[in-house]
Amino acid sequence: MVKVTIDGRELEFPEGTSLFDACREARGEALPHFCYHPDLSVAGVCRLCQVEVEGMPKLTIACNTGVREGMVVHTRNERVKTAARQILEMHLINHPVDCPICDQAGECGLQDQYMNHGLYESEVDKDDKVHKAKAEVIGPHVILDKERCVLCSRCVRFCDEVTGTGEMGIFNRGDRAEIGIAPGKELANNYSLNTVDICPVGALTSRDFRFKKRVWLLKSTASICPGCATGCNVRVDHEAGRIFRLKPRYNKEVNGRWMCDIGRMTYRGVHSEKRLDGPMLRGDGDLAPVSWSDLHTFLAERQVGLWISSPAQTLEEQALLAALGEQARTSGGVSTAGRGDGDDLLLHGDRTPNRTGLEWTDLQQHDPASLVALVRETSGAVVVHGGDPAETAPGFLAAVGGRALIFLGTHANATSKAATVVVPMSVWAEKDGLFVNKDGRVQAVRRAVARPEQAVEDWRFLVDLWSAAGCADAPAGLPALRRWLAERVPALNDLDLNALPAGGLAPATAPAGAGGDE
Amino acid sequence: MTATKKAHPYGGKMTFWERTYLPEVFRGMGITIKHVIHNLLHTSEMPTVQYPEEHRSYSPRFRGRHRLMQRDDGSPRCVACMMCSTACPADCIHIVAGEHPDPAIEKFPETFDIDLLRCVYCGLCEEACPCDAIRMDTGIYEIAGTTREEFFVSKEFLLNNKSDGTEV
Ligand code: SF4
Ligand code: SF4
Ligand code: SF4
Ligand code: SF4
Ligand code: FES
Repeated sequence: MVKVTIDGRELEFPEGTSLFDACREARGEALPHFCYHPDLSVAGVCRLCQVEVEGMPKLTIACNTGVREGMVVHTRNERVKTAARQILEMHLINHPVDCPICDQAGECGLQDQYMNHGLYESEVDKDDKVHKAKAEVIGPHVILDKERCVLCSRCVRFCDEVTGTGEMGIFNRGDRAEIGIAPGKELANNYSLNTVDICPVGALTSRDFRFKKRVWLLKSTASICPGCATGCNVRVDHEAGRIFRLKPRYNKEVNGRWMCDIGRMTYRGVHSEKRLDGPMLRGDGDLAPVSWSDLHTFLAERQVGLWISSPAQTLEEQALLAALGEQARTSGGVSTAGRGDGDDLLLHGDRTPNRTGLEWTDLQQHDPASLVALVRETSGAVVVHGGDPAETAPGFLAAVGGRALIFLGTHANATSKAATVVVPMSVWAEKDGLFVNKDGRVQAVRRAVARPEQAVEDWRFLVDLWSAAGCADAPAGLPALRRWLAERVPALNDLDLNALPAGGLAPATAPAGAGGDE
Repeated sequence: MTATKKAHPYGGKMTFWERTYLPEVFRGMGITIKHVIHNLLHTSEMPTVQYPEEHRSYSPRFRGRHRLMQRDDGSPRCVACMMCSTACPADCIHIVAGEHPDPAIEKFPETFDIDLLRCVYCGLCEEACPCDAIRMDTGIYEIAGTTREEFFVSKEFLLNNKSDGTEV
């Protein structure tokens, strides 16, 4: 440990701590900065984080300095403040200040630093500024505005160090220096939108989010990406019932500060035109809208022979389905459904969020052939909750034959089209639930937006079915449901699922997930 | 405390003449006739405005119905920054931003609607605008209609409100 005095406070830090981090701790807020990023190498190019170290003739940048025994540092005196203001003024010399049309406005480092440390009158006329290319599309997801760039090189370091793809670079010198894409390349890696997150200004912005919403109008809900078995922690940004973007939420154990582009686009399915928006019953030939009471009467008259869940449902729903199926047969769905290519950064080959949950709730998955065989073995109605066995298990519909096929799902698909009854359900962003990721970490998705008017919350519907089937003590609310779940699943026995920490929990006894073998 | 002879204005005993009401009736009549004669002798000082033939003139700072300013080519000067709709306390400005075909402009309002029934004419929108694209200097205060939809004015409508009050 070394003793350092920062702004008159003596503090101890482990050897090797960067002065930037030490100052953050001592001040309770970070020093002004653009180029420093905790997950990237130190560049020391923006010069905003300068502090005064006694004994050094000049100011020094904190991000590239380690703490030393007996260091006396000043971060708030006039000399440091003047330096920050002047450096900022330099960064803004050629900045176009087009905040009105910039998507970063409201979460922009330049705006924040200017309000905190700048507040000077600009001396550069708009016509004297060096102009560069604007609105240049550099990849499927990212758009670049070279004028707005402060050349912090975070994006370059991200592509070099995190993805290792090296598409970006700084070209030319002096005030002609600009960010660009290596000749013949485009920013097409699956993590490209992280450069948009780390770009402190509006130089890199998302094409998907472009002009859709001003960021200060968005509300955020902490949730989990449903894109794959990794289960990256995300923030769902939404307004007036519409989701506009997903942003990664820091979780050291899972995704760090990143998430992949495929995952970011999963929100699109929420507002898809294919959403099922009302209960339907097959009359003579065609599916037709039906009232809820008629639907429940129909369901009460059926004897269900097989309950099929899916790895995309929450742990609560899988457990309820398993409980409902105790008098009949159950399946966890088709084991090959939702498989794709993974990579060694975050994206997993298993593109479903909760396959481990199926294991924990003893719902065995089947390959297409054995699922079809299972359907043939059983008699009575077949309930499908999520997934699309009609598509993923050839011969499924033929095996169901003339029996009732009850589909509880969110989107129109082959199964819903062939079903006798269709019950519209909620997607991950419209309900509360738990996902268990590939490493057995239990994480919570939270309701961010309202579900379509006619859709039901899955677990409530299943609980109602269970009560109707004669269960007297079916859990009545979410807390009760989670207590029931913790009792039922051995791995969760001692956990309080109603007080899950923000980063989720990995039970010590957790069996490794089904997807973990890839 | 000294007892006064005068009756309490809202009760108590009234005198005989008060009960006939006639003195007050004639006094009121007197005031009316005085004004009639004064007005007939000084017609130019009469405060009545012969609306709708005649309009009262307001100060140039009067906040009337909004208009959207045009660029030289007639397209809206607005860049859909949403500052006005953010500042609006009545939440009555609805803008959908889009990509402008001219890359030098980039962002423009695809639609720009104001719900005049909700507007409180506070002027915060024109104050918030960084581009001087929305103004309330038309002087138009006659905002009438027979359906709600008529008050939901569009970008095209707002672009054609001239400050001299004419609609083109
Ligand atoms: S584009 Fe953004 S992240 Fe990249 S160097 Fe410029 S300011 Fe930094
Ligand atoms: S790696 Fe998986 S969980 Fe993470 S963002 Fe991508 S799809 Fe979502
Ligand atoms: S005048 Fe006030 S209430 Fe009316 S649109 Fe402008 S900001 Fe909104
Ligand atoms: S503040 Fe001005 S430029 Fe911005 S959206 Fe409103 S009218 Fe358009
Ligand atoms: S943060 Fe230290 S130089 Fe940029």
